[in-house]
Amino acid sequence: MSLARRGQHWGTFARIWHVYDAKWQDPYRSAKLLKDYLMGLYKPIYHPLNDCGDHVVVINSKEIALRGDEWRKRVYFHHTTYHGGATWTLAWELHNKDPTLIVEKAVYSALPKNLQRRHTMQRLHIFPNNKIPKDILENISNQIKQLRPVPVRLDHIPKEEVDNFPQLLKYPKDYVLR
Amino acid sequence: MVFLSLNLLVRARGPDEFWRKRKIFKLAAHYIGRRKNCYSITIRTVQRALVYATQGRHEKKEDIRELREQRLEAATTQHGINFRTLKEGLARCNILLNRKVLADLSIWEPRSFKALTDIACTRAKQDHLKTVHNIEVPKNVFVRGLIK
Repeated sequence: MSLARRGQHWGTFARIWHVYDAKWQDPYRSAKLLKDYLMGLYKPIYHPLNDCGDHVVVINSKEIALRGDEWRKRVYFHHTTYHGGATWTLAWELHNKDPTLIVEKAVYSALPKNLQRRHTMQRLHIFPNNKIPKDILENISNQIKQLRPVPVRLDHIPKEEVDNFPQLLKYPKDYVLR
Repeated sequence: MVFLSLNLLVRARGPDEFWRKRKIFKLAAHYIGRRKNCYSITIRTVQRALVYATQGRHEKKEDIRELREQRLEAATTQHGINFRTLKEGLARCNILLNRKVLADLSIWEPRSFKALTDIACTRAKQDHLKTVHNIEVPKNVFVRGLIK
């Protein structure tokens, strides 16, 4: 095998590190996307027995967005195996305890239920904010596109721009807004 | 039994039952315990194994087809279309490549595969297929009325 060919071979089977910004993204829809990268399903060389899954670094997991009123309605079940050991934690409670857990559980449930699942999960790194440790940051070479664009909040737009925005009508100065 | 030659006479020594059972035992030579020693158990296991082998021949074909589709799905999403569009587009262009060839091309000759997806995408766009509604026609494909 020539040196160039060997390099090509290494490049094909090398693990790639992807970064995914979870800000304002639905964790359950993102999980389906991240699953493809974790298992290597997006590569044409995919085979269930060849170890071609990649690393995925999820950042800003604190700022995920659940659909509808799922923050109040989604419940996470845990049982300690003792009598009366069942607990039901609401999504917002769990998110307050650990802002990475909802993403982790979403990806875990999206992966196929087999022995490989826990090993695949080892390749998922979740961080609540955008601070990534240096040893992880230096590996990253690709960014996964977000499922939907992050909306700009009105209070984050500079006041100047808001004031200069063309208006259909202007209230008179002595008009009382209720 | 008719022994037309000396050869067959030599082969046919011993009772018929022994040779009948030996055929089965030979198939069970690698089994463990009584499965390879007791005929009544052996015959049961061997028959079941043969049934499995027959089923497996069909299942293997299905599995490989599934794997190739999975790989092609991965290869085509890199170029912005999906496998269904690729297949439909190529079929309409009379490019008759099967899943095996397409999957091999996507691994070993990614550039050729990219050209194929471009052709399929252009054709699908020309025929107003729904799946490529939001995709732009690849700029490197010159149609000149040849594709249709």
